[in-house]
Amino acid sequence: MRKFLGKSVAVGAIAMLALTACGSGRDEGSSGSGSGDAKGFPANSLIGVALPAKTSENWVLAGDLFTNGLKEAGFQADVQYAGASTTVADQQAQITAMVTKGAKVIVIGATDAAQLSTQVAAAHQAGAKVIAYDRLILNTPDVDYYVAFDNFKVGQLQGQALLDGMKAKKPNGPYNIELFSGSPDDNNSKVFFEGAMSVLKPEIDKGNVVVASGQTDIKQTAIQGWKAEGAQARMDQLLTSTYGNKELDGVLSPNDTLARAIITSVKGAGKPIPVVSGQDSEVESVKSIMAGEQYMTINKDTRNLVKQTIEMVKALQAGNTPQVNDTKSYNNGAKVVDTYLLPPVAVTKANAAEAYANDPKLAPLTK
Amino acid sequence: MSDVPILLEMRSITKEFPGVKALSDVNLVVRAGEIHAIVGENGAGKSTLMKVLSGVYPYGSYDGAIFYRGEEMRFGDIRASERAGIVIIHQELALIPHMSITENIFLGNEPRKGGAIDWKAANRQALELMARVGLREDPDTLIKDIGVGKQQLVEIAKAFAKDVKLLILDEPTAALNEDDSQHLLDLLRGFRERGITSIIISHKLNEIEAIADRITIIRDGRTIETLDVKADGVNEDRIVRGMVGRELHSRFPDHTPKIGEVFFEVRDWTVRHPISAERLVAKHSNFVVRRGEIVGFAGLMGAGRTELAMSVFGRSYGVYESGTIIKDGKEIVLKTVADAIHHGLAYVSEDRKAIGLNLLDDIKTSTVAAKLSKITRHGVLDQVKEYRAAEEYRQSLRIKTPTVDDGVNTLSGGNQQKVVLAKWMFTDPDLLILDEPTRGIDVGAKYEIYGIIQRLADQGKGVIVISSELPELIGLCDRIYTVSEGTITGEVARQDADPETLMKLMTSSKKMQTR
Amino acid sequence: MSRLKDLQKNLFGGTTSNARQFGMIFTLVAIVVLFQILTDGLTLRSDNLIALFQQNSYILILAIGMLMVIVAGHIDLSVGSVAAFTGILVAKSMADWNLPWPVAILFGLAIGAVIGAWQGFWVAYIGVPAFIVTLAGMLLFRGGNQFIGNANTIPVPEGFRVIGSGFLPETGPNTGYNNLTLLLGLAGCIAVVWRELHARRVRREMNAEPIPMWISILRMAVMVGVLVFVTLRFASGRVGTSFPVSGIILVALVLAYSFYTRNTAGGRHIYAVGGNSRAAELSGVKLKRVNFYVMMNMSILAALAGMIFVARSAASGPQDGNGWELDAIAAVFIGGAAVSGGIGTISGSIVGGLVMAVLNNGLQLMGVGADRVQIIKGLVLLLAVALDVYNKRQGRFSVIGSITRTFRRDTPTAPPSSSGAEREPAKTPVAG
Repeated sequence: MRKFLGKSVAVGAIAMLALTACGSGRDEGSSGSGSGDAKGFPANSLIGVALPAKTSENWVLAGDLFTNGLKEAGFQADVQYAGASTTVADQQAQITAMVTKGAKVIVIGATDAAQLSTQVAAAHQAGAKVIAYDRLILNTPDVDYYVAFDNFKVGQLQGQALLDGMKAKKPNGPYNIELFSGSPDDNNSKVFFEGAMSVLKPEIDKGNVVVASGQTDIKQTAIQGWKAEGAQARMDQLLTSTYGNKELDGVLSPNDTLARAIITSVKGAGKPIPVVSGQDSEVESVKSIMAGEQYMTINKDTRNLVKQTIEMVKALQAGNTPQVNDTKSYNNGAKVVDTYLLPPVAVTKANAAEAYANDPKLAPLTK
Repeated sequence: MSDVPILLEMRSITKEFPGVKALSDVNLVVRAGEIHAIVGENGAGKSTLMKVLSGVYPYGSYDGAIFYRGEEMRFGDIRASERAGIVIIHQELALIPHMSITENIFLGNEPRKGGAIDWKAANRQALELMARVGLREDPDTLIKDIGVGKQQLVEIAKAFAKDVKLLILDEPTAALNEDDSQHLLDLLRGFRERGITSIIISHKLNEIEAIADRITIIRDGRTIETLDVKADGVNEDRIVRGMVGRELHSRFPDHTPKIGEVFFEVRDWTVRHPISAERLVAKHSNFVVRRGEIVGFAGLMGAGRTELAMSVFGRSYGVYESGTIIKDGKEIVLKTVADAIHHGLAYVSEDRKAIGLNLLDDIKTSTVAAKLSKITRHGVLDQVKEYRAAEEYRQSLRIKTPTVDDGVNTLSGGNQQKVVLAKWMFTDPDLLILDEPTRGIDVGAKYEIYGIIQRLADQGKGVIVISSELPELIGLCDRIYTVSEGTITGEVARQDADPETLMKLMTSSKKMQTR
Repeated sequence: MSRLKDLQKNLFGGTTSNARQFGMIFTLVAIVVLFQILTDGLTLRSDNLIALFQQNSYILILAIGMLMVIVAGHIDLSVGSVAAFTGILVAKSMADWNLPWPVAILFGLAIGAVIGAWQGFWVAYIGVPAFIVTLAGMLLFRGGNQFIGNANTIPVPEGFRVIGSGFLPETGPNTGYNNLTLLLGLAGCIAVVWRELHARRVRREMNAEPIPMWISILRMAVMVGVLVFVTLRFASGRVGTSFPVSGIILVALVLAYSFYTRNTAGGRHIYAVGGNSRAAELSGVKLKRVNFYVMMNMSILAALAGMIFVARSAASGPQDGNGWELDAIAAVFIGGAAVSGGIGTISGSIVGGLVMAVLNNGLQLMGVGADRVQIIKGLVLLLAVALDVYNKRQGRFSVIGSITRTFRRDTPTAPPSSSGAEREPAKTPVAG
């Protein structure tokens, strides 16, 4: 039997060696060469787009725009959304699958911007370019470009609109306001908040604007997962704890979903609706603005953002360097990422018709 | 004789289970308006017969025919028999503790108005029914808050709610005290006067003698005889003779005991019920076992034999109250089953499917399960040793199976029991407690198991056999203790043992009478 | 016909659950082949196989612990939360207290042990059902994760990432393959051959009916063949990649726990408790201790799984561990474990987990969206368990058996339900 064992091992080893000898086309990969040496790729290549779970209209719209836009440009598109509960793991697996399928460019709207470094490294090693869409991927040198609206500017516009709106309602302060910010795992949340605070802080310091609950730290104002019910619950609690006999003049809300949740809460408590900011130009919020409830939103036309991203993909395909307009501001912890920033537009009832004139879905609502 | 119309006739009923013929050619004739008792030893087939009657075993699963009010009945389930007015009240009451009396009485049979339950009508009817059974309680009282005796009455009231014509009571007084039993018997007499027919199954022969008009005796799944209490001048002794009357000695292998010294002694053993702490399941019991001796524990169902044995076996039942165990002259304390095994005790449980075996296991795994340390080397199970041990027992106990790799669920009852015996023999015990070792096993396998028990005794081990079959104890044991209400009520040597003597001691609640 | 029967009986081990396992492996192979065709060969490409293992190693590690929990008759819903809680603490310990990463791993395992002891205490010694204890744990440790992490994402250092995304180094002569992976594969082949020969020797010692030689050789050939194929795939990936470190951890755990559950008294006791706890107790098994350690072990493995995920994601985030318990439980049940406990094998659960993993991966490669992937996975779980339940009612199942049924004369006998004693098992409450 011992002899037999020896023989079998020998046979196994030989088999392995034989197979070893005949197949040795081991891919060296383009091990993280970064940008610059782009030579382009075939025009019908696969382009992967990994987006977060379908929790907001914007992501669904972006997905559709990518699918159609990339097809029109002659590419094959693979657009994926993360699952509802296992978002991060799903997105990791989707990006890996795109790499396996040989995608030349992978556009990523990150679910958790800090948990994708392994996957983008693999993408880079396989020779794919990585474009961070809307959310900057953190702590990795393997991101090539970043496309987004100028989020600091968004915050500034929100803060300014809030002040303007309150002044229009009540000429003299001090104004009582409350602050909300987005999901803490979304890198943009902080940027919006800081942008807004750059406008509001001087007024708060002057005493012209008062955060009556005293909750001004981003950790206190954050709404996990951008969830409407989270914002509504927090607003409910603020109203009970702070606004029993005080008037609430304004609420800084980072986006439309949260803004509407806040308004629902205030209405539920039977209070007059304060000036509430927003962002994203969601259909319901535009209706709300036209009805005089929500005060403002930001128009970050997803069409433009997707269009710009596809322009970048086209440039990469042709072997050119895509156009960027900011090469200094966006440091992701490992490197400064070349960025193309699109300007956001503040929309109130006054300029809605003009702002949405080109939007087939929103334009009718403004009439 | 035939001046009274016949209500029920069961004609040559035969019911087989895989490996066991539970009923063979049983006949039963019940006349309208009588109280008819069915008696027999445990496992004689009384309950099976009643399950056939009530449709628990549906038509087609047995042979024979049931005639009821002159028509042949083919019950497909219990509901069918209940519609015909046959209601069975089981020993384990089918009541829901957290529901009220009314809710229980009308469970599955709720009076309705529109789509909703008409609670007003239900309560009114419940009160009427309760009056008929002599139960004075608020109908909204929860079942858990009334005593067992009253619960029994609720069961009967429930039967009346279904318009009962033939009431079957399985061991109705087993769990009742003297007063409640008396009340129940009076109630049955009252029913008889109102023309309701009852069948009562009971071990309490004095009650049977007092209440029944006629008695059918069943033994080993056969009808032995039907006695007319008045006409035949029946008394307890006559019934016992019918129940146990058969030749005893041919059913047991020849055996000459080699009895040694007392090596195991239990003194003043008292144990409380695990839930109701005021109940004592064992009361100041004392017993001894000698080497090479087979000791029997005789007692009726619920007498506390199993509880006594399990409480000795590492306190695996009840709450220990007092008492000492002395083995080989030294007091030992057995707090866990592992302690008991370590000190050479083995307990083969009464219910091998529920607590004796893991039915998912194969034979070899089961064989070594109680002493894995014997086949463990450096923390690793030696599968060769395991296989050899199992194979050894397969041969010596003649376990009928192709291989010991087969699952125990593929074995017949007798062979399963042999596996359980093997499992405990594998632990090299000094004292084996065998609880109903031959229950549900056919005659041939019983003979083999008796032989195994005798061989174990001959190896110098002590063996305690708990059994409800008196002939088995008389044929097998060198000495028999009788147990009643958790107390040892007597000790009978082999040569003095006969069913009548034992039955009397088993049904007495007096303390220890040594003969 | 008898050869086919021999094959069925002997191809994968020698016990009763064989046919079931054969069915699972058959399913896995079928799914792999199906996706290999549907994805034009992407499924079995080196980089995809490597990714598959990296993506699923943590779920499979959970499945190992979950199998033991389920066999013992419990369930653990808290694994995802425990993983996330451990992950954030370990990430913080390295970021804030500068713990060296190997120490941080030990720290993480210790956290798992403490959490496990907590849950085991409630289950085993107080007697709260594991479903409730771990449901509470799910909330408790999810909250703990957010409380400690403030819902932030905390990156972990490079060294730590090895356990999640690391590979074996490239050493030795340039063979065109990763040499260490080749060595691992060779070791695997030797182990397979040795095990087969050992099994034959054991059977001879038992004087048991020997397995026909041709079956032994066929079995060895199939397994060595699969191993060689897989080894070469893993070894021939892009330079710098190999069989992943997380896969090695997984394989080591699978081997160790398989051995434990099969070949030690402790493992036997878990099956005994799940099969019939009262019978086990009356056989001297220390019920409470078994339950305690099973729950504790699960949390330790959950902690490990959490760390591997964090290492792979390069950061600990607030969404870690969401829904993992369901993936692990699904793997165990697809792998043939019984809902009522007492039945199941580690290898079965791993195969079950791989079925789900390959399905997930294959569908993603085909570009099927996450929504539809979830629907398909749900249906697969339901069908697998339904098949199991159905087969149990029908007696034992085998793929080959079902194909050959028409040719067989002997009808399978139903297990005897002797003496009509169909009453409820007497559940005697245990005191003190």
